[in-house]
Amino acid sequence: MWKYLLEKEFKQFFRDPGLPRMALMFPVLMMLVFPFAVSMEIRNINLAVVDSDRSEESSRLLERCTSSGYFRLVAFCGSPEEAMRLMNENKADAIITIASDFSREIGNGSGFPVGIKVNTVNGTRGSIASQYLQNCIMMYLQDRNSREAGSSVQSAASAPAAQSVSAGPAINVSEKYYFNTHLDYKLFMIPALIVIGITMITAFLPSLNIVSEKETGTIEQINVTPVGKSAFIICKMIPYWAIAFFVLTACLLIAWAVFGYVCRGNVLWLYLYTTLDIIVMAGLGLLISNYSSNAQQAMFVIWFFAVIFMLMSGIFTPIASMPGWAQAITYLNPMRYYADAMRSVFLKGSSPLDIWYDAAGLASIGAAMVCWAIASYRKSS
Amino acid sequence: MNAIEIDSISKSYGQARALQDVSLTVNQGEIFGLIGPDGAGKTTLFRIMTTLMLADSGSGKVCGLDIVKDFARLRRIIGYMPGRFSLYQDLSVRENLDYFATLFGTTVRENYENIREIYSQIEPFADRRAGKLSGGMKQKLALCCALVHKPSVLFLDEPTTGVDAVSRKDFWTMLARIKASGVTVFVSTPYMDEAAMCDRLALIRDGVIIGTGTPEEIISGFPFRLLSVRGRRMYPLLKQLRKTDGVISCFSFGDSHHVTYSPEVTGKEQILAGLAQAGFGDCTAREISPGIEDCFMWLSHGNGNGRQDC
Repeated sequence: MWKYLLEKEFKQFFRDPGLPRMALMFPVLMMLVFPFAVSMEIRNINLAVVDSDRSEESSRLLERCTSSGYFRLVAFCGSPEEAMRLMNENKADAIITIASDFSREIGNGSGFPVGIKVNTVNGTRGSIASQYLQNCIMMYLQDRNSREAGSSVQSAASAPAAQSVSAGPAINVSEKYYFNTHLDYKLFMIPALIVIGITMITAFLPSLNIVSEKETGTIEQINVTPVGKSAFIICKMIPYWAIAFFVLTACLLIAWAVFGYVCRGNVLWLYLYTTLDIIVMAGLGLLISNYSSNAQQAMFVIWFFAVIFMLMSGIFTPIASMPGWAQAITYLNPMRYYADAMRSVFLKGSSPLDIWYDAAGLASIGAAMVCWAIASYRKSS
Repeated sequence: MNAIEIDSISKSYGQARALQDVSLTVNQGEIFGLIGPDGAGKTTLFRIMTTLMLADSGSGKVCGLDIVKDFARLRRIIGYMPGRFSLYQDLSVRENLDYFATLFGTTVRENYENIREIYSQIEPFADRRAGKLSGGMKQKLALCCALVHKPSVLFLDEPTTGVDAVSRKDFWTMLARIKASGVTVFVSTPYMDEAAMCDRLALIRDGVIIGTGTPEEIISGFPFRLLSVRGRRMYPLLKQLRKTDGVISCFSFGDSHHVTYSPEVTGKEQILAGLAQAGFGDCTAREISPGIEDCFMWLSHGNGNGRQDC
């Protein structure tokens, strides 16, 4: 009987015009398109330059900026007004203005007549652009200092002048990022995208499937047969679990083949946490289908949960930077634990011993969900 | 043993009372019809009897099994065909049938004799998806699926609603054959003309059973006489008839009015004379014997005290 129930679900799944294709396309699309699209790295900042000095020093500074790869030099402007006009027309994101006495002042150490203007209509882009630009200038000054230091034997007089500008190069803070050394946003997002995909497949597709059986009345027809409801529901979910593991495997393979990313930890742990997440999501999916009588209702509830789960999971914005009350809410969010676990295993190579709290969180939410779902399922029948 | 025994079952949906003190007895091997208009509570009663829903109060037995306590055993021996087509539209005819046979722990081959007559009509389309069948075919498939495990009692909820006249006739012929194979059939319908095909019936209205018995018993219980009146100006005629002395009620039935009158007070000639006096000289009247629908109308208006507009 179980075999036949399962056979029927698989038959229906593969007969659906969209579902099998979607299951195949989903991981591909997710891994090949989204990592680029959701990247928070900002490149190609349009830079306008007003260089009134036109000296060797000023061109060194500009070269520093353009060689960083973040900026794209769009115009050399004759006047600050012209540059401003470009910014107003949204053709330039940042303007760097170098005054005519730049090389003289920096040479004798009396000042640093460089101005930066950044378009912050898009706040994130603006603040990152100004950060990058300042970094470039700092790097230029460091270069200059080291050049000066090399020649300081001959002319000791000019060294203190440069130092007064760069606030002393004696302490050199160098940042080193662990686990994601190059701050590669794609690497950071890939485990999170897997999390989103698995959640969608295991929670929302089965619940829509159950609701559609409700809508067509077939569930009544099943209810008058001796088949137990739990057997029926579990058989409904198994195909989606199979798809979830298929998607997980496909995503890991694509990450390896296309981006060269390999899971740092034991891949087994990824599957373990995915299994835990699947249990939570099965409960949630059943719960949603119990409380909605048609697909439209279910869709809306699903959409609501999907958005909240994603925004409150730390996938896009770090949980640590949320206000306290919002952080408290995230403890109820299963995606928080799952995303944390997947990133820890994938990026850090954690083992369940290191992230036992994620397992505990998922397990307790899962237990509550499943119990609630079963209780409400009994009641509604 | 009676096939179905229902004892004072009540069910409410919030404020709305769907069933009030419904009691019924259905004999083994008969076609029992539940006749009533839409919203009378027919489907609710079906859902309670097929263990899909719990009654607020009252008890019931189907084939001697309690509908609450023995629901698991009961589900093996009843067949239920809901009013709406509820099979898998994306599975083929054969797959649907196989599926339901398997759910009941049997196979189509084992029970082929049981459904052969109906199934043979849709067998040429066995590989077609159920969703692509015509209405009549769907209905036959649903009937096959409800019969595939050889149930003792077959519940059919409005099987002929939305089906054309020819298919309806076919369907009742099929029911007669199913009955002949020893299955008790409990069928509901809003069509009064189908009532005559049942062995016994119950008339239901607003959740209350207003009459039970064989069709003959119900018709013979009609205490008045009936005239079929035709005229040219039908609506003013209806109003005039309702004002006439001795007329219990008058309803429009297709192209004529059925006038219920008490023979002690008035008669056909007297009514016609009254009509002529009121300016309806062109009327013709004919004595007719009452049908189920006339009985239903009389019973549903509180045994004849209603002279209300319909």
